[in-house]
Amino acid sequence: MENLHADALVVGGGIAGMQAALDLADQGFQVALLEREPSIGGKMITLSKVFPTLDCCSCITTPKMSAVAHHPNIRLLTYCELESIQENNGGYRAKVVQKPRYVDARKCTGCRECEYACPVTVPSPFDRGLGAYRAIRVPFSTAVPQTAVLDMENCILCGKCEKECPAGAVDFTQRPESFEIQATTIVAASGFELTPLDAKKEYGGGKLQNVIDPLMMERFLAPTGPYGRVLRPGDGKEPTSIAYVQCAGSRDETLGITYCSRVCCMYAIKQAMLISGALPMAEITIYYMDIRTFGKGYEQFYQNAQAMGVEFVRGKVASIREDDEQNPVVNVELTEEGRKMERTFDLVVLSLGMVPTLGSNLSLGLPIGTDRFISIPAPNASPCASARPGIFVTGTAMGPMDIVDSIVTASSAAAAASAYIRAHQKEIVYA
Amino acid sequence: MPEKKQTPENTHAPDSEEVRVGVYTCHCGGNISHVVQCERVAKLLGKMPGVAVARTDPSFCSDAGQAIIEQDIKELGINRVVIGACAPSLHEQTFRNAVTRAGLNPYLYHHVGLREQDSWVHDSDKEGATEKAVRLMSAGVAKARLLTPLEPIRLGAEKQALVIGGGVAGLRSALDIARQGIRVTLVEKSPFLGGRMAQLESVFPTDETPRQLLHDLIEQVTAQSNITILTAAEVTAVSGYVGNFNVTVTQHSRGVSDEMAEALLAACTQETPDAFNYGLTQRKVIYQPYKGCYPPTPAVDWEHYDGQPIQVNGKPVVLKDEPQVHQLTAGAIVLATGFDPYEPRLGEYGYGEIPEVVTLPQLIRILAQVPDGESLIWNGHPVRDVALIHCVGSREIDGIHEPQADGQVNNYCSRVCCTASLHTAVELRKRFPTSNLYELYQDIRTYGRGHEDIYRQAQASMVRFLRYHGDEHPEVMAAPAGDKHPVLVRVKDHLTYGEEIEIPVDLVVLAVGMMPRQIDDLVDMLKVSRGTDRFLLEVHPKLRPVEMAVRGIVLAGTAQGPMNIQESLSAASAAAAKVASLLGQGRVELPPFVARVDESKCDGTGACVEACLEEGAIALQTFKENGREVKRAVVTPANCTGCGACVGVCPNRAIDVQAWTLAQYEAMVDAIAMDIPAFSEAEK
Amino acid sequence: MASNEKARQPKILILATLAGGYAGADSTGQVHMEYPPNTYILPVMCPVMFPPEFFVRAFERGIDGIIVMYSGTDSPYRVEADGTAALINRAYTLMKERSIDIRRLRLAAICTVCVKPFLKEVNQMADLLKGIGFVGDEITAPAAA
Repeated sequence: MENLHADALVVGGGIAGMQAALDLADQGFQVALLEREPSIGGKMITLSKVFPTLDCCSCITTPKMSAVAHHPNIRLLTYCELESIQENNGGYRAKVVQKPRYVDARKCTGCRECEYACPVTVPSPFDRGLGAYRAIRVPFSTAVPQTAVLDMENCILCGKCEKECPAGAVDFTQRPESFEIQATTIVAASGFELTPLDAKKEYGGGKLQNVIDPLMMERFLAPTGPYGRVLRPGDGKEPTSIAYVQCAGSRDETLGITYCSRVCCMYAIKQAMLISGALPMAEITIYYMDIRTFGKGYEQFYQNAQAMGVEFVRGKVASIREDDEQNPVVNVELTEEGRKMERTFDLVVLSLGMVPTLGSNLSLGLPIGTDRFISIPAPNASPCASARPGIFVTGTAMGPMDIVDSIVTASSAAAAASAYIRAHQKEIVYA
Repeated sequence: MPEKKQTPENTHAPDSEEVRVGVYTCHCGGNISHVVQCERVAKLLGKMPGVAVARTDPSFCSDAGQAIIEQDIKELGINRVVIGACAPSLHEQTFRNAVTRAGLNPYLYHHVGLREQDSWVHDSDKEGATEKAVRLMSAGVAKARLLTPLEPIRLGAEKQALVIGGGVAGLRSALDIARQGIRVTLVEKSPFLGGRMAQLESVFPTDETPRQLLHDLIEQVTAQSNITILTAAEVTAVSGYVGNFNVTVTQHSRGVSDEMAEALLAACTQETPDAFNYGLTQRKVIYQPYKGCYPPTPAVDWEHYDGQPIQVNGKPVVLKDEPQVHQLTAGAIVLATGFDPYEPRLGEYGYGEIPEVVTLPQLIRILAQVPDGESLIWNGHPVRDVALIHCVGSREIDGIHEPQADGQVNNYCSRVCCTASLHTAVELRKRFPTSNLYELYQDIRTYGRGHEDIYRQAQASMVRFLRYHGDEHPEVMAAPAGDKHPVLVRVKDHLTYGEEIEIPVDLVVLAVGMMPRQIDDLVDMLKVSRGTDRFLLEVHPKLRPVEMAVRGIVLAGTAQGPMNIQESLSAASAAAAKVASLLGQGRVELPPFVARVDESKCDGTGACVEACLEEGAIALQTFKENGREVKRAVVTPANCTGCGACVGVCPNRAIDVQAWTLAQYEAMVDAIAMDIPAFSEAEK
Repeated sequence: MASNEKARQPKILILATLAGGYAGADSTGQVHMEYPPNTYILPVMCPVMFPPEFFVRAFERGIDGIIVMYSGTDSPYRVEADGTAALINRAYTLMKERSIDIRRLRLAAICTVCVKPFLKEVNQMADLLKGIGFVGDEITAPAAA
């Protein structure tokens, strides 16, 4: 890989990073977009439908992915890890490693012949382990770029993919390659991770088969998902009673996560509505402390869910155990009645919260807040400016937020970054 | 009506030059050719009328493959290109670029998806897949023959933006746009900048001083030489479209010159309720809302000034408003018109009837007038026990809440009131340590970064929480004469399992929600839409979250919906980014897929105008032709989205969407329906 | 196609919006789900552009079934859902006048990843045409010259 120059380096190719890159590129700036995964799209591309409009999520994400891929001012760098940055020449020099795909991206046409030939099946992280894919594969059907990637950890080196590839793109000799990007400004769009399923031991996540995380439910509900319907991972049974445990990874001092994750109320309500559509007979109960449907159109959404028959119960779930038939049994303190009760469900979804992605944040060397998200020193003056000059933050890298807010902060970070570029580059020549 | 003209079909091909179609069927490295017999497709297509060359290649998207096409354009005079390959979403742009490089207009190329829509879905019927490929490719050729060169619609755009609203969102937008080298006119209705934010005393979660933050922002705005600020000004007329809006701004006189300011201010005796303090205090009709306001020169409140002369040094001075009219052009318009706090109805929670019932914005102004260390006195009584009621004018329910004058109930959450209320409670406890505070709420929505900490601070400050249900609102009533407290609040508290609790208090504070400002005139002038919540409506919350359906008009801040200062700033910067993208190049470029009228066929029936879905995209205009007046439809490409609603309704087939014409579709249908023998013959 | 032993197949024309049905068909291809090949997909900006006569003309030229795949009412993209539905109804009236079975024309909401609904629509139409045969056998009025 040759070294690159760009006006802006955007770290992270989820919805926030894509939007920031598009807004900068549309203003005529040269953008390098760095993504550690083999495809852009982030968490958003794995979702089913999105609140409050219930649009098909892919219908919103894929056009943005495509726009990024085809934008003449965006250089897309997938499967690349940011190692470090240092101040240089009025901007930043980023050290980046291109991880080996073991596939020549210039030759691969995304035909998937390798995938069909590969005899090794591995659980697909795109499907939260619910589905499987091959050791060599195009990461998912709408991936951008449509370039295969071989995961060496699971490869048995049988060579079938190499033989079947019509483009001669498979290359077992690839090695990680380091290169540098010199950029005037950096936009950190490093996103979030879900609170680990097993973070709160009392809830049995990770141990009890029918206690799942919300992104698994997204894959059950997504038209592109592994099953195309909602079922229990334990035994494939269609659930007739489903509980949502709110604040399962947020507002909880025992976890050291005291903040509200902002999206869990809305995604739980959305999933409840979608499940009601898919399984009209299913009873859905949401255990909550406060319902926080604060965004535009969200309160109406909440009222619609109530009207549809989704049951909202104010209560704090103390623990979850399993009965003899692997049904989760929820022990809940009903705070409006002052009593505890147990109730058995077919399936429990833990409404997990957001925690920061640490890897690239550490590489950026940015100070973090007590919540460990990137710190914003003056939120009411420069809501996207980090503590380092010329580095701007967007989306969930600066704390939990939903897609709408991520997109707005992305455009806002782009505005701040472009003003910085203007002020720090003497002359910008536009074609 | 003139005689209806004959409409010959499929005759739109330009006759100035011979159509020479190049047809390229890609193997896609076997992906297509393993199922579709590409050579056979090429051979058959090569015999179709107009086709000059038909080729296959293992991979036309490769550099070598693209070079073949470029060479054919240059050497064989190919002037229409049809490529059958993977989905157009993947490589249409690649090939558009390739034909452009070879000197051909990019719109003389048509892409046919033979992989995702043929070889990948008909693996077990290779014969059927090949027939499908032939028909799709011949449809492609049929369309290509009727393609005409097109240019993107380029509109000269004024590198100038209009920002309406001088609050924090408008200021931020103006600054960020100006920093991209675009001139800005900022129009503020009141004589002073700063908007609602100036009325606050502390912003969460940083506890900074709002007027200091505003001062810093205004300083940056006024330092920009390319920002013109018009205060006491209103937009009174708008015409035109994206790139070229013509705007009339009417500016009221300030009424006071800098030299006369001090003397006039001292001499003025007429008073009026001070809107800055939500009517709790009086101020003069010549005023500065607060110390350090911008501009610093006092202004006359024309709405309330009685017109009487003011005696200055023994001389009567009559103040006169002589509005000035400014004409300006703007490429884009930012709407940052802000919000008003919800004004409770008379008697709602005792508001307006019981003097000890105030709104949270009012309380903030009351507290601002209490010097540090002094106790809080209201209506002559020391205030110790305070009840704060959440969700007043928010989260209202149809059938439970009385509709407002316009029939609306505010069923939305106002987003900021929970944190603002708790933030105030924490401040009250700090300043008046003996106070007892009650927060009556439905759900505590401290969602933002650092907001939950304020909730915990409030809990730690011994604020008592009582939870009411949306359909069982608290009641506020005057206490019987002689009671220690002037007001009683009754609430069914679900934290104590539904107990009916009566709280005697000295002050009831209503945490009122947000309402959009009254901007009916602007909405009518700009033809923009509002949602059912009456806030301005974005095109789509995720695809175009700060843009309005009318091109070139964007949204900033609380005009769009409730948000806090940080969120307003973000939205304002986002709006600026959109304006910069739109106007940065000095022109607006739009795809050429818009309606086009064939004047020779248009009879001016107006059917298209009636069918059109976009405001101002098509209109009838009268022309003089051979001495008589005729009506013709005229398209404004800037406002046309190319949906084609006008196409199907035209009785004369006089209108079409460029590159997607009806004749092209008919030719494609004919190619698909073509008899099989035609192919068999050709193959011989 | 050139093979004489192969029976003539009815032809299904699919008018699919770029943001809806066309992308849905591409998604179907990406997961390699098979459906009958006598299906011809043409991309459209918005189907509201077609006059109702367009559909009748297509039937007269030998198209046996037409599916209009638009993005539906819950799509994030602006399409004239009501207008399209009204247009299809006007086309039905014309079809009845020509004795064309109105089941030959269908309006379907297909999103970018609607693989299953896409397949369902296509297969239903294919099955229907197997039952009711070629359009040429039922048109009464001669094709307009």
